[in-house]
Amino acid sequence: MNILKAIYNFIVGDMIILIGVLIVAIALGLISSINALAPLRVAIGPVLIIAVLVVLSATLYREARGKR
Amino acid sequence: MEWAIASAAFLASAVEFVEAFTIVLVVGVTINWRSSLVGAFAAAATLAVIVATLGVAIVQLVPIDALRLFVGIILILFGLKWLKKSILRYSGLKALHDEEAIFEEKMAEIRARGETIAPRLQPFGVALAYKAVLLEGLEVAFIVITFGGSISKAATSNGIASAAIGAAIAGILVILAGLLVKAPLTRVPENTLKFVVGIMLTSFGTFWAGEGFRYDWPLSDAFIPILAAIFLLASYLLVTFLKQQKRRQLAAKETPRVISGVGSQEEVRS
Repeated sequence: MNILKAIYNFIVGDMIILIGVLIVAIALGLISSINALAPLRVAIGPVLIIAVLVVLSATLYREARGKR
Repeated sequence: MEWAIASAAFLASAVEFVEAFTIVLVVGVTINWRSSLVGAFAAAATLAVIVATLGVAIVQLVPIDALRLFVGIILILFGLKWLKKSILRYSGLKALHDEEAIFEEKMAEIRARGETIAPRLQPFGVALAYKAVLLEGLEVAFIVITFGGSISKAATSNGIASAAIGAAIAGILVILAGLLVKAPLTRVPENTLKFVVGIMLTSFGTFWAGEGFRYDWPLSDAFIPILAAIFLLASYLLVTFLKQQKRRQLAAKETPRVISGVGSQEEVRS
């Protein structure tokens, strides 16, 4: 358990960033691999950029609220 | 030579080497320089072995699309972590990294253990210096491997070597600066370096993750600076927003005090 925690802290150390990025990666992975979702592939780039910005904003907002 | 890779590795390494140098300096001053340098060089050798073996294995064994996806996601995670820290520091929600405070804290820790200056090799000193350099360097090693590995495969140039050169130059410069100053390197603009590296890692990470999902970015590689500009602008807006939030919080804290102060004065008058 301590090893897992050390790896988590080493790579990211923030649950919002980790879960947010993983959800986006899974969603985009499905879009790029399932043929029925092929029309959505043109949106992968913009979605990725927006998702990264949303994750960053969410984690910063949580930190700002936590400091109250 | 891949300049983008070398400069990203240089900046990331400079930040981590400054942190590691602080601990090596504490051990050198408080225990002895022999233990401190043995620990630091042993850790540097361990890191070189990790980069060489893992780097070569990743470049040779993993298919390019999977590698780019993996590297992209790892770089986004690292980049967001660094960006978050530096934005919090710029907005005043987190204290700027204080090398002097770390230096004093570690010094007190060593004194509390009753360690004294002695010329012979002391295992505790070696272990402390080794641990500091290894832990701070591991993140850089990971950036060097992932960053350099992805480029190596795509451009058939030696990205890992470029990244390693960038990291090595940063290490030499930090050691030279440390030898000249002989004190914690407090003047290194650590937060600015962290911010720039955060922007670079997030931009490259987003670009490579997109390519891993087989998305064709407009303008191809030339889209990376556009990504960096987008993240830079967003970070600026976030810093401004967080500063406003902090001011509002401070104002809200002050208001009840003023009101309660007025109330008590009225009570006294009546």
